[in-house]
Amino acid sequence: MDFTWTAEDAAYRARVRNFLDRELPDNWDEIARHGPGSPEQTEFSLEFCPKLAAEGLLVPHWPEEWGGAARPPWEHFILGEEMWRVGEPRGAQYMNVNWIGPVLMKYGSEAQKKRYIPEMASGKAIWCQGFSEPNAGSDLASLQTRAVRDGDDYVVNGQKIWTSYAGLATTCFLLVQTSGAQGGRSGIAIFLVPMDTPGIEVRAIPSLIGHGDIHEVFFTDVRVPASCRLGEEGEGWTIISYALANERVGIPRYEMGTHELDAMVSELQRRGQFSDSVVRSRAAAAAAACEAARLQVYRVVDGRARGLAPGNESNLARLAVVAAEHAVADFGMDFLPDCFSGSKHLSMLSHHERAIVTGIAAGAAEIQLNLVARRHLNLPKGA
Amino acid sequence: MRFGLNEDQSTFATVLGQMLGSPEAGFKTVEGWGRNDYGAALDARLEENGFFEAAPEAELGTVAAALMVHEVAQAPVCIECAASALVRPFLGGEVSRPLAVVVDDAPGAIRYLPQARGLVAISAEGVRYADLPDNAVRPVESLYAYPMGEVDMTIPDWCEIAVDPADMRVLWQVALAAELTGVLKAGMESVLEHVRERKQFGQPLGAFQGVQHRLATASVEIEGAKLQMLKAAQSRSAQDAAAALGYTQAIATRIIYDLHQFMGAMGMTLEHPLHRWSYRAKLLKAEMGGSAGAYLTYATERWGAA
Repeated sequence: MDFTWTAEDAAYRARVRNFLDRELPDNWDEIARHGPGSPEQTEFSLEFCPKLAAEGLLVPHWPEEWGGAARPPWEHFILGEEMWRVGEPRGAQYMNVNWIGPVLMKYGSEAQKKRYIPEMASGKAIWCQGFSEPNAGSDLASLQTRAVRDGDDYVVNGQKIWTSYAGLATTCFLLVQTSGAQGGRSGIAIFLVPMDTPGIEVRAIPSLIGHGDIHEVFFTDVRVPASCRLGEEGEGWTIISYALANERVGIPRYEMGTHELDAMVSELQRRGQFSDSVVRSRAAAAAAACEAARLQVYRVVDGRARGLAPGNESNLARLAVVAAEHAVADFGMDFLPDCFSGSKHLSMLSHHERAIVTGIAAGAAEIQLNLVARRHLNLPKGA
Repeated sequence: MRFGLNEDQSTFATVLGQMLGSPEAGFKTVEGWGRNDYGAALDARLEENGFFEAAPEAELGTVAAALMVHEVAQAPVCIECAASALVRPFLGGEVSRPLAVVVDDAPGAIRYLPQARGLVAISAEGVRYADLPDNAVRPVESLYAYPMGEVDMTIPDWCEIAVDPADMRVLWQVALAAELTGVLKAGMESVLEHVRERKQFGQPLGAFQGVQHRLATASVEIEGAKLQMLKAAQSRSAQDAAAALGYTQAIATRIIYDLHQFMGAMGMTLEHPLHRWSYRAKLLKAEMGGSAGAYLTYATERWGAA
C-alpha cells in the first residue's frame, strides 16, 4: 500500500493548478456562483475548454485516435479534482470527458463517432442527459418516454425532468422505451438527439441548486432518424451500466469541500473566532469526513487504474462523499452564517448551494444504501 | 497511490489470517462468566513467528503492522497486539511484551496490565519504560472485555527512552485507530450474521430498510476510518493520525448502539461474543481524550494553535 503521490502525479497536479491560476479570470467566483449548469458557467466553458484542449488537458486519458494522449486514469482523476476544487470551469462538459465520449467510442457507429467525438475533444460540445422522468427517478428502468419506429425514423413522445444543462445543450443523450418493448430494463434504447429537433420543448425549473440548472424537457412527435440510435434496441441498460462503471465515483465533491473548509477557517481566524474548542473540533470533524471520502474514492480509482472489475466500493465512496459535503456545509452555516448571504464570499456560497444536491442527484443516497446493504453486506431483500 | 498490498504484505496477511482462523482465536465462554478471554496461545504463536517485528521491515512496514492490529482485534479472544506491533519496535533496546501503555499519566486502570511484562508511559516530556516487577500489578474487575489492572507508578524502575515522544504518540494513535476499526468491524460482522438469519414479522431482520441503512452507513464509516488509519500508519504524521483516531472514535458511539439494538437480547448475554468487541470499543473510543481530543490535535496540526 502506498498513499503518496508519485513525482509525476504531483507535477501533473501542479501543471493543472498553474493552468487554472493563469486562465481563470478575476471574476471567476461570480461566473461560478450559480453552478456548472448556469448559463454563465456554460458560456464560460465554451471559451475555457478549447484552451484546455490546446493545452492537452481536456481529454488526456482518451485514446490518441480521438484527440487524447492515452494518459493513465490517475491523471484524469487529478484533473477532475482540480477542476471541481475551483468550481468546475468545464461546466457541463465534464460529462463529455468522463463518460459520454468513452461511451460513444465503445458503442457508437462510425458516423456518430465522427460527428460527436471531435467536437467534444475540442471543448465545444454541450450535452444533457435525458434520464429521469416524472414517474422514473430512482427507479429509472420504469421510464415511459417512447420511441416508435416509423420507416427510417423513430417518433419520440414523452417527458424528461430534472435534466441538467438542457437549456443550452446541443445534444441529448436520451433514454427511451422502443415500440413493442414490454418496459423495464430490456426495452430501453438510447438516442443521440439534436436539441434543435422540432417537437422538443425545454422549460427551466426554478431550483435551490442554481439558476438554469435543471429542466423539464418535453418530446412531442419528435422525429429522430434511426441513425441516431446508439447501439441496438434494448441495449440501453447495458450501455448505461458501462457509462456508470466508466465514471464509477462521480464528482470529487470533497475536493471543493476541503478547499472551502480551509477558506472558512481562514475567515474565522481573521475574525478571531477560531480559538473555541467546539469550533475547532467541528472543523476537524468536517476535514476528517472529507479525508474519509477522498480515500474511499481513491480506492475506486486505484481499482480502475489496476484494471480490476468494478466492485461495490463505488457505492460506499458515493455515500462517504455525501457525508463529507454536508459536514462542510453544516460547519459553515453553523459558524459563519453571514457568509451565505451577500456577495463577499461567493465560492463559499456556491459550495453551500451545491451541497444540497449531493445526496440526491446521480442516484439518491438511499439507493446507494440499499446497494451497499444488499451487495456489500449481503443482507436479504425485503418482502 | 496504490491500495493493494505488496507481495510481502500479502503473504504476511495470508499467514496471519490462517492463525486468526484457528480455534484458539475463536469464541468460548469463560469460566465464571468472565468478560474477557486472553488469547495466550495465539499471542505466543504470533510472537514465535515474528509477527510483532513487522513494522521496521522495509517491505512490511507500519502499514502491515497496523493491518495486523486491525485483524487481531477482530478475534473474540483479546491479545496485546497494538503496543507490541506499532510502539515496541521503535523503542529500541530490550522492551518486554506484552506491553501496556499509559499516555499523559491518564488515571484509572490500564488495559492489558495483568499480562504485561513492561509498561510505557508517553507524555509531552518524554517516553519512559519499565519492566513490571512481580506483584506490582493489581488486576481489577472491568466491564470492558479487556484484562485491566492498576499499578502504583512510583514502584517500577523507570528508564528514559531516547525517542521522540510526539512520534510515539502518533504511533499509539494509529494503533488505537487500528484496534478500534477492527473491533467495530468484527462486531458488525457478528450482527450481520444475526440479522441475515433471525426472522421477525415473517422476514429476516436484515431485510428491513431501517436495519439495512444503518448497517450500510456503519460499513461506509468503518471503511473510511480504516483507510485513514492505514494512511496515517504510512505517513506517521500527527495530522493524519489525529484525523484517523478522531474520526474512528466519533463513529464508534452510534455504531456500538446500533449493533446492540440489532442483536437485541441475545447481544446482552455473555454467551454471545458481541460484547467482546462492543465493550472494547466503548473503552477505545475514550482513549487519549476521545474524538474531541484527537480533533483538537488535528486542528492545531492543520490550521495552527488556538
